[in-house]
Amino acid sequence: MAVTNEIERAMKPVNVRRRPIPLSLLAWRIVGYAAMIVVVVIIGLPVYWTVMAAFKETREIYSLPVTWWPAKPTLANFPAAWQAAPFGRYYLNSFITTFFGAAAEVILALFSAYALAYLRFPRKDLVFLLLLAALMVPVEITIVPNYLTVARLGWINTYQGIIIPGAAIAYGTFLLRQAFLAVPHEILEAARVDGAGHFRILFSVVAPITQPAIVTMALLSVVSKWNDFLWPLIVTNTTDMRTLPIGVFWLRNSEGFSNWGVVMAGSLFLIVPVLIGFLLAQRAIVEGMTAGAVKG
Amino acid sequence: MKRTLTRRELLRLMMAGSGAAVLAACGGQGQGGQPAPQATQAPAVVSQPGSKVKITYWGSFSGNLGEAEQAMVKSFNESQNEVEVEYQFQGSYEETAQKFTAALQANTTPDVILLSDVWWFGFYLAGAITALDDLAKQVNLDFNDYEPVLLNEGVRKGVHYWIPFARSTPLFYYNKAIWAEAGLPDRAPETWAEFSEWAPKLVKSDGSRAAFGHPNGASYIAWLFQGVVWQFGGQYSQPDFTMTMTDPNTLRAAQFYQDTVVKHKWAVLNANLNQDFLGGAIASMMASTGALAGIQANATFPVGVGFLPKETNFGCPTGGAGLAIVSRAPAEKQLAAMKYIAFATNTVNAGVWARSTGYMPVRISTKQTPEMVEFFTKNPNFKTAVDQLPKTRAQDAARVFVRNGDQIIGKGLERIIVNGEAPSAVFAAVNEELTQAAKPILEDLKAREG
Repeated sequence: MAVTNEIERAMKPVNVRRRPIPLSLLAWRIVGYAAMIVVVVIIGLPVYWTVMAAFKETREIYSLPVTWWPAKPTLANFPAAWQAAPFGRYYLNSFITTFFGAAAEVILALFSAYALAYLRFPRKDLVFLLLLAALMVPVEITIVPNYLTVARLGWINTYQGIIIPGAAIAYGTFLLRQAFLAVPHEILEAARVDGAGHFRILFSVVAPITQPAIVTMALLSVVSKWNDFLWPLIVTNTTDMRTLPIGVFWLRNSEGFSNWGVVMAGSLFLIVPVLIGFLLAQRAIVEGMTAGAVKG
Repeated sequence: MKRTLTRRELLRLMMAGSGAAVLAACGGQGQGGQPAPQATQAPAVVSQPGSKVKITYWGSFSGNLGEAEQAMVKSFNESQNEVEVEYQFQGSYEETAQKFTAALQANTTPDVILLSDVWWFGFYLAGAITALDDLAKQVNLDFNDYEPVLLNEGVRKGVHYWIPFARSTPLFYYNKAIWAEAGLPDRAPETWAEFSEWAPKLVKSDGSRAAFGHPNGASYIAWLFQGVVWQFGGQYSQPDFTMTMTDPNTLRAAQFYQDTVVKHKWAVLNANLNQDFLGGAIASMMASTGALAGIQANATFPVGVGFLPKETNFGCPTGGAGLAIVSRAPAEKQLAAMKYIAFATNTVNAGVWARSTGYMPVRISTKQTPEMVEFFTKNPNFKTAVDQLPKTRAQDAARVFVRNGDQIIGKGLERIIVNGEAPSAVFAAVNEELTQAAKPILEDLKAREG
């Protein structure tokens, strides 16, 4: 954000001195802004609705016409949601499984992507093809075989049961390999001439340059682990091993009538930590872009 | 000179090694793809004499239903010291069934499980749930006191497999304020013909209010339409799985559903009927008795309920979920599970459960308990729901026993109502699809029941 603002400020005087923008360009610009507004509304409206509903009474949520601002704002939904299930325990479990799950995924992706991008070994193309094939397998298909494996290992209802089957995901390797391939050869050769080994090249040269890609991949990984519902539900049985998304689902009634205010308050428990993580990580993505601009 | 391996040779060795590992893994599977024998054997003795039998119970109740369920388990555990039940929430009915399927393969099954009306039959066919009659005798459970219409659904060849627990039926809901505004008598319509006369008075001409709402396929329109089909003298299928979707009376019911929306325009089809009803966008609907408490608590107007309207007959299906015991559980745990089922559905507790959730009391004697009589006086609407119960019947095989049958019929109804396609053409296609889907079930059924 800050960078684009600076660029705009730098551009402005130039624009002012020039003759007015041609009409067709102006029209396109308006279309562009209109499209952006549409996208923001499509993405933002459900989020806005979730937040507002968390502060409404259930009766108001169900009443028509809809209210865009709580008529009688209430905080009662939050303690109600917190007391309905052991959310403290869910937070702990979600932090543990997300941290170790995402860390394993990023580290494995870094190493495997490095090998696929820079090392020469026979049948590398075949390995890469295998990876792509793994990318194409829908998650739903692997659930039952994974469950059987985990059950035979005796890992049902354990942290490793939740974490290990998702520790290596092909898309991470694929994403980072593509980013690594874009690193200029000259930089790597220079590092090699200076006597850097594989680890040194990966962590001191390649990783800082491709930081935006790595942070993006890590972020996607964290969000998918944090929001994962089906696998933790299937592989755990007891309340003390369950994660946040299952806690939110627990607030809903499967049949009959749901207390949506409480469900939305529970959804905010889930969303807020990820949102904070996103804001922090975004800075790293932008910094990486500028840090990478060294070749000249 | 020492010879070291070249990189190429090393890689080749590694590949050979991993190949051997794969072969070894296959060997562990046992002969002919059968699971290893120890995986199917149940442990013979589980507990030491004198200690508590611990059993696992998988269920689908969350929200306030989940809290009511946990309270039931807690009061069972505190009522005696032979059995301890652990209630484990497994997601929706569908997810619970899915997980049970996986657990059967991995041998990580629970001892007692809650299965919905459309799922228990598949597990019965697979032999995954056990006959309950001997167990019931051991705990002195009297099947005669259960509501026969609910109990008999879980009976195959005279043997009980599925005990009614959280059972509901559809009910006709109406908005009393709109009813009064239209000058209608304060009751549900007796017949669809009568409602067709009332409906135009309930509609707002600017389109902001319809007289009646249909749910969509995903919110189980095929369950509510089941009753309507019977009211018109038709049915989805015969007990032997012969599909009767093209029966003239079944088609007449479908034509009526289409007319309410397309021709007369006093009904709408919508995903979330509860919301529309509470907001006053529809004046009436058919919906589960299970929603009654929630609707009454959140409505800004007086809520009226009544029996479903008649056409040539009365017709109303049952729905919901019941309890089953897992075949693979050791005998000792099966008996403990039966003790829990007997407790959760005894005269007093069936009432506790019905009052806290809105499900039907499954025991006949529950209706005479003082707590229930008092509850009926305070909640005449709930009394109406219970009074309708003896007039209900078990659903046709096409919806509950054919895999995905509910959605096949529901999508057909959406085509008829939303797209305005001819009922005869759509239901002919649905008939064919159901017949195809029933084939494997019929084979399994033949293998299971002869």
